[in-house]
Amino acid sequence: MTPVTIRVSRFDPASGQPARLVPYTVEVHEGARVLHALHAAREQDPSLAYRYCCGSGQCGSCAVKVNGKPALACMTPVGDGDVIEPLDLPVVRDLVVDLVPRIARIAALLPKGGGELPDAATVEALKPLCDCVECGSCVSVCPAVAVTDFAGPTAMRQLERLVLDPRDAGDRVSQADAEGLFTCTSCHACYEACPKDIEIMGKAIERLRAEAHRRGYTFPRHAEIADLVRTTGRSVARITTPLFERVEPVIEPYGPVRGEVAFFVGCMYSMRLPETALDAIEVLRRNGIRVVIPMEQVCCGSPLLRTGQTEDLERLKRINIGAFRPYPVVMTTCAGCGMTLKKNYGDLPFRVMDINEVLTEFGIEPPARLPLKVTYHDPCHLLRGQGISEEPRAFIRGVADLVEMPAYCCGSGGGVKSGKPEEAAALGELRRKAIEETGADQVISSCPFCEFHIQGHTDLPVRNVASLLLDGYRAREGDARPGERKVQ
Amino acid sequence: MVDNGVSTTHVLVIGSGGAGVRAAIEAAEHGPVVLLSKTIAGKGGCTPMAEGGYNAVLREGDSPELHVADTLRGGAYLNDPALVDALVREAPDRVRELVSWGAVFDVGPEGGVAQRPFGGQQFPRTCYAGDRTGHEMMVTLMDRLAATGVTVVHESAAVELLLDDGRCAGAVALDGDGAAGVYLADAVVMATGGGTQVYDISTNSSSGTGDGYALGYRAGAELIDMEMVQFHPTGAIHPYDARGRLVTEAVRGEGGRLLNRLGERFMARYDPERMELSTRDVVARAIATEVLEGRGTERGGVWLDVTHLSARQVEERLPIMLEQFLAFGVDIRTEPMEVAPTAHHIMGGLRITPDCATTLPGLFACGECSGGVHGANRLGGNALAETQVFGRRAGLSAGRSPVREKGVTPGIDRQLGALRRRFDGFRDGEVPPASVVRRLKETMWCGAGIYRDRGQLAGALAGIEVLKHERLLARTDRNLLDCCTAANMLLTAELICRAALLRPECRGAHTRLDPSCELPPDRSPYAHTYLSTAGEGIEEVAR
Repeated sequence: MTPVTIRVSRFDPASGQPARLVPYTVEVHEGARVLHALHAAREQDPSLAYRYCCGSGQCGSCAVKVNGKPALACMTPVGDGDVIEPLDLPVVRDLVVDLVPRIARIAALLPKGGGELPDAATVEALKPLCDCVECGSCVSVCPAVAVTDFAGPTAMRQLERLVLDPRDAGDRVSQADAEGLFTCTSCHACYEACPKDIEIMGKAIERLRAEAHRRGYTFPRHAEIADLVRTTGRSVARITTPLFERVEPVIEPYGPVRGEVAFFVGCMYSMRLPETALDAIEVLRRNGIRVVIPMEQVCCGSPLLRTGQTEDLERLKRINIGAFRPYPVVMTTCAGCGMTLKKNYGDLPFRVMDINEVLTEFGIEPPARLPLKVTYHDPCHLLRGQGISEEPRAFIRGVADLVEMPAYCCGSGGGVKSGKPEEAAALGELRRKAIEETGADQVISSCPFCEFHIQGHTDLPVRNVASLLLDGYRAREGDARPGERKVQ
Repeated sequence: MVDNGVSTTHVLVIGSGGAGVRAAIEAAEHGPVVLLSKTIAGKGGCTPMAEGGYNAVLREGDSPELHVADTLRGGAYLNDPALVDALVREAPDRVRELVSWGAVFDVGPEGGVAQRPFGGQQFPRTCYAGDRTGHEMMVTLMDRLAATGVTVVHESAAVELLLDDGRCAGAVALDGDGAAGVYLADAVVMATGGGTQVYDISTNSSSGTGDGYALGYRAGAELIDMEMVQFHPTGAIHPYDARGRLVTEAVRGEGGRLLNRLGERFMARYDPERMELSTRDVVARAIATEVLEGRGTERGGVWLDVTHLSARQVEERLPIMLEQFLAFGVDIRTEPMEVAPTAHHIMGGLRITPDCATTLPGLFACGECSGGVHGANRLGGNALAETQVFGRRAGLSAGRSPVREKGVTPGIDRQLGALRRRFDGFRDGEVPPASVVRRLKETMWCGAGIYRDRGQLAGALAGIEVLKHERLLARTDRNLLDCCTAANMLLTAELICRAALLRPECRGAHTRLDPSCELPPDRSPYAHTYLSTAGEGIEEVAR
């Protein structure tokens, strides 16, 4: 037996006091899970309330936050110092949350009668959507649930499961639309939180949206974007001189060539925020990386894919793969493009790397440190879409002091900014609050959608990691004029 | 005392596993139903954790007669034949019904519900949804339940049955705050599941605390064959806190091999014909014997090996096993699992007719809390089938019960007074229930395990008697339920030991080291053991 100290959130609704963390030092066996530590703590204090039942990860009763992340207490190893809190849902007492109303929003199959078991292919398609143990983790982390009446990620999982099932008599697409199908920002927080690893966005929401699109549920604003892509190859209209008209197709570095990337610029950085893309190119040049820009490239298709308008996708894929085929490394600076190329394009004849990965792999010249306090906003499609978290932070710490804030969707993804602007604004305001609490001078991110959207919800400059690095380089070179330029 | 008031309903169902929910669905056709669930309904009981499958005769080559024969032979001929007949005849309809309600079972090579071999079967008749069969059934049943008008009371546990003029007239339940509510009904369905949580090493969920046996016994209903505790051959043994966790029989159904420390496929010594797919009593005794005779692993188990199967087969057919073992650092695609027997299922329970009537008027029972379907040893896959067949039958019988005038009669009021005094006793108690439960589990594991004799059983009973005299303490009202549950566990354990002393033979899962009768099961002079507040004994077969 070894002693561990866990801190457990205690809350008694009758006390009128807010929840507080109470430490318990308990003896546990080797391999003990959080649940076993809770059992031991309850022996010390029988008033401690938490749920559990099967003890083997199959009933979903015991989901709690362990060190800030949802987890099943019965399957998660306990560690000394662990902080155990309730899921971010209305708390009944201690670790017990009001789960039943959330479960009640998961639709039930409406039998047509006389239903036979579907064929093997249908069952294979259904099975990955049947693993849900209704633990509430996905609902507790969902930004759309936080600011709208969205039924929640697992409710959408179930509706897609019902759409695929020939035995169901319900009109699930209309139901999905009514229950918030288009509120999902595609942040993937539900996937990260799911103890059963159900990828609800890709496996359910995008498929439901595609079906909804076929049935005519598409927002006019989303349809306009699809039209724009169809006619111009770009999802953003021309409002300034696009990057492609400002640069040569091959941009040599300042010193010896240490490497080469083909730059997939994306619609936002090419059409709306080209200055940021120029900053990124400058940083690459200063680090010996040749930048090639194939001019035939078009929209990656993400804005269509996330809104269910998938008809044009194969054409875009074909053009882009053709344009980049000659190059071994394709670099993205937009988190959304990066995730789309990596996750939705299938097998590719080249390697796709985000700029943070490129700079980490090649290594960078150290920038000057500036007397600056910044916070970092994790783009969902970089953090959860591509698993990139530490790399941008390392670059930021090279230039400025980094004050962390919780990673949370800003509201701009999944077609929400264009389709549900009031929801995007509500989430943007949540970011404003989080940013204010850090006391930072600037907000740094690594995604044009996040940068553009958050700029509308803070008075601080919102800037790209590459722009911050460039500030550091310029300061070192003596032409220090740290950019205070705001994103337009 | 009755903070949550008095409610009345036509049918009260206690328990929200596969049997309870099926009973509620059926009863709802006949009038108002209240379903009391100790957990959030759908999450409790052992159905959602049941991995392996559901036995039903669905294909040519199989027959009801074969299923009956397998069940009786597996049950060492202690089963009640009328119950077996109902199980076998109706299991196919109930699985088809689940399919029509949306259950996603695996599909067989020629279409239809896939079936695989399980222990003790002459035909591969176990329907499955990967190794999360029970979970899939439970999800389907909850969907169906939602379409009825059943009132579901979540996280409220029945702690006492109420009696009126010799009939069961309802129950008292405690909610999560320890507040009591009275539920009066024309008929009550007991579907509380099993009770192997009384053992130190058990596969059961937290609700497997024997509540139905204890409540039924205290109310005067008769129980049979409580000595028949199935030790599932393959429970996890590492890490310590996961000991007992079920390693599904599907592992052996898919071709898993049992090996001792010397690498011998030891089942050849115990059942060369059926090998790993022998019945659970035989396999559990074989593993226990290997360990006792020094051929076990260092941790006191044996190896269960699927590394000769393709990784794909393991991933597709045993995904939960793969996930659970990976969580504990073992990749079963490349390493064997370490396993030992674990208390799994109580074959005994409330005596029922094929219509699920207990010996107490007004009380019906179904699922694991009832006895007689499985005899002395249950076949893998027969329990999930039992939940549906007898859940429906219990719901139907209860639903058809005549409507009566319901009210808090003087008799019920006296019972509530007694319960109040019992709760006050808990509030003034001294010993935390958790400590009593811990000692009980050890007592039962040592004294009423796979191998038993008179001395061990009497010792266990004496130990239980000591624990019964501990004054259980409820620090807050929310701990009243902990005290009630501990008391139910003590009574369940006592019933197991008393019944085990009554049966002087080895039969199925009940292995006496000191049998006074050594006739084979089919020629045994004994039938059911029985226990009630009116008396106890063992029935003899008239020959």
